[in-house]
Amino acid sequence: MKISLRKAVRDLARQRTQVTAVGLTVLLGVLMFVAAGGAFRNLSTSYEGTYHRLGFADLLAVGTDPQALADAATSTGAATTRIRTQVEQPMTLSGTRLLGRLIGMPPAGHPAVDDVEVTEGQYLSPDDPDGVLLEKHAAATFGLAPGDTLQVATADGWHTVTVRGVVVSPEYLWPARSRQEVLGDPHSFAVVFASQDQVQAWSGQAPNQALVLLGGASQADVTGALRAAGASDVQTWSDNPSDAALTLDLNGFDTMSKAFPLMFLTAAGVAAYVLLTRRVLSERPTIGTLMAAGARRGRVVWHYVLQGLLIGTTAAVLGTAIGAPLTVLITRVYTTELGIPDTVVTAHPDLTVIGIALGVLVGALGAAVPAVLAARTVPAEAMRNQATLPAPGRWSGVVSRLHRLPVTTRMALRDVVRNPRRTFATMLGSVLGLVLVLASVGMMTSMIAALDTQYGTVQREDASVVVEPGAQDQVAQQVSGLDGVATVESALASQVTVGFDGSTYATSLQGISPDTSMHGFISGGHTIALPSDGVLAGAGLADQLGVAAGDTVTVTDASGRTTDVRLAGLVDEPLGTLLYGTPATVQTLVADPTPVLLVRFDSGLTTAARDGLRGEVTGLDHVLAYTDTRALLTVVDSYLGLFWAFFGVIVALGGVLALAVIQVTMSVNLVERTTELATLRAAGVTVRKAAGVLATENLVAIVAGLPIGLVAGVLAAQGTLGLFGTDMFHLRLSLGWWVLALSALGVVVAAGLSQVPAARAIRRMDVARVVRERVT
Amino acid sequence: MGTTVNGRHGSTTGKETAGGGAGRRPGEHAAPRGGARLTGVRKTYGAGDTEVHALDGVDLELAPGSFTVVLGPSGSGKTTLLNVIGGIEQATAGSIEVAGQEISGRSPVDLAGFRRDHVGFVFQFFNLVPTLTARENVEIIVELTGVGDARRVPDLLAEVGLADRADHFPAQLSGGQQQRVAIARALATDPDLLLADEPTGALDLTTGRQILGALLELHRAGRTVVVVTHNASVAQIADTVVTVVDGKVQSVERNAEPAAAEAVSW
Repeated sequence: MKISLRKAVRDLARQRTQVTAVGLTVLLGVLMFVAAGGAFRNLSTSYEGTYHRLGFADLLAVGTDPQALADAATSTGAATTRIRTQVEQPMTLSGTRLLGRLIGMPPAGHPAVDDVEVTEGQYLSPDDPDGVLLEKHAAATFGLAPGDTLQVATADGWHTVTVRGVVVSPEYLWPARSRQEVLGDPHSFAVVFASQDQVQAWSGQAPNQALVLLGGASQADVTGALRAAGASDVQTWSDNPSDAALTLDLNGFDTMSKAFPLMFLTAAGVAAYVLLTRRVLSERPTIGTLMAAGARRGRVVWHYVLQGLLIGTTAAVLGTAIGAPLTVLITRVYTTELGIPDTVVTAHPDLTVIGIALGVLVGALGAAVPAVLAARTVPAEAMRNQATLPAPGRWSGVVSRLHRLPVTTRMALRDVVRNPRRTFATMLGSVLGLVLVLASVGMMTSMIAALDTQYGTVQREDASVVVEPGAQDQVAQQVSGLDGVATVESALASQVTVGFDGSTYATSLQGISPDTSMHGFISGGHTIALPSDGVLAGAGLADQLGVAAGDTVTVTDASGRTTDVRLAGLVDEPLGTLLYGTPATVQTLVADPTPVLLVRFDSGLTTAARDGLRGEVTGLDHVLAYTDTRALLTVVDSYLGLFWAFFGVIVALGGVLALAVIQVTMSVNLVERTTELATLRAAGVTVRKAAGVLATENLVAIVAGLPIGLVAGVLAAQGTLGLFGTDMFHLRLSLGWWVLALSALGVVVAAGLSQVPAARAIRRMDVARVVRERVT
Repeated sequence: MGTTVNGRHGSTTGKETAGGGAGRRPGEHAAPRGGARLTGVRKTYGAGDTEVHALDGVDLELAPGSFTVVLGPSGSGKTTLLNVIGGIEQATAGSIEVAGQEISGRSPVDLAGFRRDHVGFVFQFFNLVPTLTARENVEIIVELTGVGDARRVPDLLAEVGLADRADHFPAQLSGGQQQRVAIARALATDPDLLLADEPTGALDLTTGRQILGALLELHRAGRTVVVVTHNASVAQIADTVVTVVDGKVQSVERNAEPAAAEAVSW
């Protein structure tokens, strides 16, 4: 081994605590890059594998003549097409009445487009017309298996069918009725696949969708052809609510694979810089001697860069070594939890190479400035090893006037500017820690706040009940009379497609009474009234269609009827992008809107009582479906423990980040202040008080970093939220004071912990030896 | 075998009132205090083949109020001797009694307390805190030890001739002035013993004389002063000169007519 390499290794071993802190930070950064980046790629590949294997339609066109749409697609070069009926149909599963989705399939064999994978039981058979396939989430929610029965509402009344198989569908990997209901009551939605003929017979609905696999055809060309052939809406993969929800989740991995490593590697680079700068300063006499002997500058630079490279490379190799199996674990756990049928785990050598390169880069960059500083050492000055006392600046003079402050406080205040780079590095520790915590936790607190707003201010009903046409008043009266029900309001609902300037957006149109107590329409922070002419829309529609309040939009109903209506205003709603009008307006826009009752319960109703009411309401005649609007809140409440666990983990991770940087800067500070501290110890100052002097200075820098960290953290949280802003979610940043306070406290605690080794070092300090040495 | 030496001021110990020499005429000596008695003191570093006997059976008595200069070549053990007297190093064996207190075998915490109450140190390279003014460098000792009176700090600086430099930072002071701040700092807790390790080692002759003069003044206030130096000419001002060679006390000489600081030359 070359002597310079041997020296580098020994030097690093001598400072193993600080070197470990820097190395650990690099390791975590590279680990996150490899693990999150690899998981992102694996999951993307897994989804796409499922999509391709099951022929997930590239385009789904809605229209009154789907065969014409399919023909148009074929003539434009599309590889495969299929038409089908898809309809929202009342169903009863395990005694729960809901508005399910009935989808037509070819009974003789698997289709080439939008196929399903049978996980239990068998596929459809022409010999078993009443045998249906149940989507696996619904099967799990309602505890149904092949051989069990369920009821489907038909024009002739409830019809009992048998579950032939439980299936996975590429359209419902995440079970969502629409982009407006990505998060909802799992007991209010189920997807049932049945023979196309049976679906048509039960619902009375002719085929209304054309499914297209593009093959080599141009998506734009086929889309144009579909629209020209009369498609009221054309949806791509990304418009599919399931794919959109999963993509949002994947984006989280993607963001994590970039943002977290960036923070950790920045911190590691700064810590390496501080560590090696101190090394160079302490070795000035040696460097001066070598330079005087004719050592080449390049060799000196390389010697110190080598130390940074050793730290960065070793940590990066370890990070990739741990990251690779972690990638596999994350992928498997994720696909298993979500029930993704294909788990594709592949090696990502490029991520490994980039991960190691990042570690090398951080080590080299962190060492570069100290290395150049070393090479610029003037031999005569260095060999004289003259202690250069810092000239007092203006700040020192200002502090001198603060006579009432203890001397130790005055010293700490001056020391903050004594070595600005070290102070900056210490502050950076707290800033990065806070950014990490706030950006992560802000997402969760904002989501919780969004749910509070959605279900406290906007959507105030506890349940919505779909009833048979003509029975609305009768059922409303019956529901009003039930114990536990406070208010009932009649409303209308219908699936529509909104169009503007060539773009379309499929959503739900709600007809609500102008004097409703069930819904709050908020715009710009103020409550607005539902207009008698025109409609209101969720603010997301502006992004979707480029529309503004006052514009005229086109509304197309399920029958294909198109009506122009004025967009009276845009409302701020956290979940979904819906359209609202008065019942009278809705009736002018939609042929046969679904009658709905909005129900509010007495306050303080228990979950058991709510479940009891669900049973009572769905037991009434003419009730077709029931949705517990607040079921999502109940689910979220049940996950609050997990939220706190996540919060704790992130705060701990932020603490580790802060600790790694602060520990290095603090220990370097300790080395620089050894003589001062030893002199105090010689004068009889206790270890606790001597450590307190050092801690005060570090804490001043850390506390000075807190406001910057809090501001940067809030901005980072806003940026993170922006990544998730879609028509499905409109999240406003909500970080309670307690989050800010706890995060800041976490950083201060981490800083406090980093003082423990300092106190031990002071206790172990060889006072007799140190006080004899000249300060460098 | 060491030698017992008696100082010229008797054996009384006990602290003087705050202010040190206040109320005395120049040249008049106050009541002596401090003193040290070392019996069979050994200090060994390392073990086995690397074992070094820095002190090898030292017997020595420094009378309260004495001014002792310890001479010896580099590596002879003179600084170690100073350190074990001051309690910043513990002897491997033997008994050490300082200011009437046995300090051998005490815990580090106890020794810190002992130093706080009885000992002041002056080092070759001053070891001032660069971000504190002269006054603050002295005050911080009072603040952190809880011993002494911060209101006395201006007097202490005046005693070492720095009344007009109290608000200057170390970078604005000469080497001699910095060393005088270090002496004032050592006096902040009004110690019985002042231990100085090469206090003139980093100074030119003129400045060195000023420092020695300051130490003599403090000695006249009754304190026991021990100065370790390799500079034999400094021995002229001491009443006792101890020569240490290879960890042993080679000689102890009484100086009947100590010279003034101005007489010293190197």
